[in-house]
Amino acid sequence: MIQKVKMWAKSFTLFELFKGLGITWRNMWRKKITVQYPEEETPVSFRFRGVLALRRYPNGEERCIACKLCEAVCPALAITIESEPRADGTRRTTRYDIDAFKCINCGFCEEACPVDSIVTVPESHYHMEERGENIMTKEKLLAIGDMFEEKIAKAKKLDSEYR
Amino acid sequence: MIEFEIDGVKVKAEPGETIIQAADRAGVYIPRFCYHKKLSIAANCRMCLVEIEKAPKPTPACAFPASQDMKVFTRSPVALKAQRAVMEFLLINHPLDCPVCDQGGECELQDLSMGYGEGVSQYTERKKCVDDEDIGPLISTYMTRCIKCTRCVRFGDEIAGMPEIGAVNRGEDTEISTYVGKSVKSEVSGNIIDICPVGALTSKPYKFTARAWELKQHASIAPHDCLGSNIYIHTASNQYQKGREVKRVVPLDNEKINETWLSDRDRFSYEGLNSENRVTRPMIKQGGKWIETDWQSAMDMAYQGFAKIVEMKNPDAIGGLISPSATTEEHYLFQQLLRAIGTNNIDHRIRQIDFSDSMDSPTFPGLSINIEELEKQDTIVLIGSNIRHEQPLAGVRVRKAWKNGGKVLAINPVKRNYNFDTAKEMTVGISNMVPFLSEVVKALADKYKNKRFIEWLKDIKPSQDAIDFAEEIDKGVETAILLGADSLSHPQAGAIKSLVIAILAILQKGNYGELTTGANSAGAWLAGAVPHRLPTGENDSAGLNAQQMFSQPLDGYLLHGVEPEFDVANPQQALTALRYAPHVVVLSPFVSETMKDYANVILPIGAFSEISGSYVNVEGTTQRFRSANAPMGEARPGWKVLRVMGNFFEFEGFDYKDLEEVQMSFKEESDDDRKFERPMLYMKQDFVAHKPKGLIRIVDWPMYRVDATTRYAKSLQKTISDEERSARIHSKTVKQLKLNIPSGHMVEVIQNDESIQVKLVIDDNVPEKHVYLPAGLEETAGFGEVAGIVEVKIP
Amino acid sequence: MSDTTQEKLQLGILSKDVIKHIDHWCTKFPEEKKQSAIIPALRYAQDAAGGWLSEDLIKAVADYLDVPHIKAFEVATFYSMFDLEPVGKYKIAVCDNISCKLNGADKIVDHIKRRLGVNCGETTEDGRYILRTCECMAACTNAPMMQINDREYHENLTLEKVDEILDDIDKQEDGK
Repeated sequence: MIQKVKMWAKSFTLFELFKGLGITWRNMWRKKITVQYPEEETPVSFRFRGVLALRRYPNGEERCIACKLCEAVCPALAITIESEPRADGTRRTTRYDIDAFKCINCGFCEEACPVDSIVTVPESHYHMEERGENIMTKEKLLAIGDMFEEKIAKAKKLDSEYR
Repeated sequence: MIEFEIDGVKVKAEPGETIIQAADRAGVYIPRFCYHKKLSIAANCRMCLVEIEKAPKPTPACAFPASQDMKVFTRSPVALKAQRAVMEFLLINHPLDCPVCDQGGECELQDLSMGYGEGVSQYTERKKCVDDEDIGPLISTYMTRCIKCTRCVRFGDEIAGMPEIGAVNRGEDTEISTYVGKSVKSEVSGNIIDICPVGALTSKPYKFTARAWELKQHASIAPHDCLGSNIYIHTASNQYQKGREVKRVVPLDNEKINETWLSDRDRFSYEGLNSENRVTRPMIKQGGKWIETDWQSAMDMAYQGFAKIVEMKNPDAIGGLISPSATTEEHYLFQQLLRAIGTNNIDHRIRQIDFSDSMDSPTFPGLSINIEELEKQDTIVLIGSNIRHEQPLAGVRVRKAWKNGGKVLAINPVKRNYNFDTAKEMTVGISNMVPFLSEVVKALADKYKNKRFIEWLKDIKPSQDAIDFAEEIDKGVETAILLGADSLSHPQAGAIKSLVIAILAILQKGNYGELTTGANSAGAWLAGAVPHRLPTGENDSAGLNAQQMFSQPLDGYLLHGVEPEFDVANPQQALTALRYAPHVVVLSPFVSETMKDYANVILPIGAFSEISGSYVNVEGTTQRFRSANAPMGEARPGWKVLRVMGNFFEFEGFDYKDLEEVQMSFKEESDDDRKFERPMLYMKQDFVAHKPKGLIRIVDWPMYRVDATTRYAKSLQKTISDEERSARIHSKTVKQLKLNIPSGHMVEVIQNDESIQVKLVIDDNVPEKHVYLPAGLEETAGFGEVAGIVEVKIP
Repeated sequence: MSDTTQEKLQLGILSKDVIKHIDHWCTKFPEEKKQSAIIPALRYAQDAAGGWLSEDLIKAVADYLDVPHIKAFEVATFYSMFDLEPVGKYKIAVCDNISCKLNGADKIVDHIKRRLGVNCGETTEDGRYILRTCECMAACTNAPMMQINDREYHENLTLEKVDEILDDIDKQEDGK
């Protein structure tokens, strides 16, 4: 009986409506979490494993020494390397291909690399249009590395504290 | 027998055996770097330190002999501490560059530092650097990585007889070096790559091209000499490649044949497999032009040509030559095909010129003892054998016999550079081989008053040299007389063989051996790839042999894996006959310009890693092997091509489904387990000296020019010295010929109206009145015959 | 194994006197162990060639003993008594190990350095002396000590005594 009276009183005073509007009111004054992509972006962790890249030393020499550890560790078998001695006698790759479709961005290659050559860049803006573009060749990977070098260096510096 | 304990396990050992030997047998692993079971004990790496009960200090297990009731602990705290300390010590100066090191992944130092080392080193000082040396085109050095175990030095001293590398300087500055920057020249030098426990010595052709973990290992048999060394072929592949690529060849241990070693020829010849001269599609010549085509039309053209010859003339106008390094199955199908066509013109003895003993020859030419037993001989007589180059690992056994106090005697057309001392060495030239041997036989016959042989050789008077030589042979208890390539391709090869058998007959002791050319001469004989003998072992009416096929030109030729301009005893005659022949079908893994000149159809077949089959080695052991990778391009295994060729003729008995059926059929007809029997004594020869007027050309095949695969192996080719490519003449003969030029200048050599220009080398190791000019070289491609007459002029 | 041209070459490089000495030393070892004679052979060759061994000289010794070249190089590079580069005629070696050091070896080295105007391991400009320090030569009872030309010991050294010794040598050399 008392229940019924309570229900009747609530519905008569529009209590539920005002309760709901109260939440709306509160949230109206809160900070917005929606971002206007692509004009705006959410922040990305420096550990984000995005596009792959090959780095160079500051003097322009490619870091990769064709040790093939990344190829061995890759769980998706996405990496293919061919190597031979370069004219100056150093060990270098003649082919360094990553199939971006096979790649699962696990970052094992980065962990395995003894010279910090192959890295995952905290950068997710990339796409492919044509068939075959999914094969990231050595030239492409080095170009990506050159493009993002500053970003990579910064991310690695931040990450080094946790190692 | 001594009984003692290792880690609580009871182990037995012979008196004098070291702890590590007993432990290895018992399966207890003791870490080591300098110890190698085939080399002397150095005990300088100290990695094998173990604790022995009641011993005051840890003891090196490789140098300490086992004794009764001794208690050895390999994993006790004392031993572990010692091993860890040694490991840290070894790593003081070892660079941590495993990612760029070719040994990475299969490195003993890497493995042992994982198992026995500490994670951190107390040494923070700078590491030492050592300059690298260029020791030739086969071995690449990175001496900073060296840990001075001296295995390579000991291998050079003890096994290979190449004392070119040593440990120079002292203490911390010790370096393994040739000191004067020489390149290492040995036919077995590649083994120092295997025995090097670190990446200081690695393979140059393989350098940086693959990693150990991506290679697949296939057991196989080496295809270049009659020993049939056991090998592992390592292949790799990636998604862009069709099929697998051979990356390197390493030895597979077989105590009976190659121990743990491998000759450089067997190790590095794989480079030829990936040569650009490989033929990958069937080719036919139409209107003077070569076009690539499909198998059907190429086979049809090959068949039509032969069918026309059979129809128009007779089957005997067709002849077939097969390489002695083809598999037994290929030999068997090859002769089956030709005999089905109706001809007996089949031969594999491409370098032989004297066939007078064919009918009397045994089941197959071979060795009457096991290869293993060679090192136990106390007297080894080499007759016309440059064993170091022909069968490098048999050479290693002979050297071992010599090191064990054996005695080596030699009769050669030119003085050979052996890596053992000879008790008596006769350099007699081509012409005096038979006279000298007959004198030796006569001297022995005289000594033993053997009337039969005295009568046989009644006109011969032994010289003092021959008597001494005979005396030396007679002194031996375990004697082996080995005939090498110079005897087998001698114009009087039959006479040489009969004289050698006569020596053994007089002495009533000793072992006989023909060290044949090619990998499977024995298999070819068993399979019937000879003009006069069927696979059953019965003699048939003889067809034309390898020589006659070219001296009496035929209409149709079937060549299998042979490059006549390099491979046969008379390249000039062969090329002429082939160029005039209307129909020449070549089955070959490689194509050359010369081949395009004489052939009509070229059918691509698989090279050695790409085929399955079997080889019968010189002692008569059949060794089967499987292919390691698929034939390149559209090439097919040789046996399949021959089988389908049989189908085109619609012959019966060519419906084999697989190689096993070929082997079954061969086994039914012949018994390939037939053992070697010593040849019967035959005494029909007359012993006139082979003394033509003029300069005689001494011919052999340089080590790395013996077959097509080695000829296309680039790194091996780089090791051939200029001297080997020259005409070598004795200084006196040079004077007689009035060649007033020093070594290194060009001379013109004329043989059968053809002339070539080569460098002159004045060399007193060549007997007078001879010119030593090898075959098989680019310079002498298609040039005149073995032991022919040549003229030498200043151009 | 060595051929005739090589033998001719050795005779040019090795003097008859040296060969006589080498032959004498060879008699002390078994016929097949000629390698054992490398040390004395190199020593005589070095003395006869003005105190140092050239590459050709080492090769000639190896050829004469019929051992591989590298075996002689190993020995020549191992022992400090063999010099592989031209050095001073008189090799002064001052011990600087513990006993000698406690008894003033440093002072003696400094004195010789000043007198000759060279540092350790250097040859004087006139090519007369080379100064070195060396390890213990078992003359600790009479420390400090020095050795001249690998054979003369001079013990209980004082600065005066060193001067005396060097003066003697200078006198002898200048007198020539």
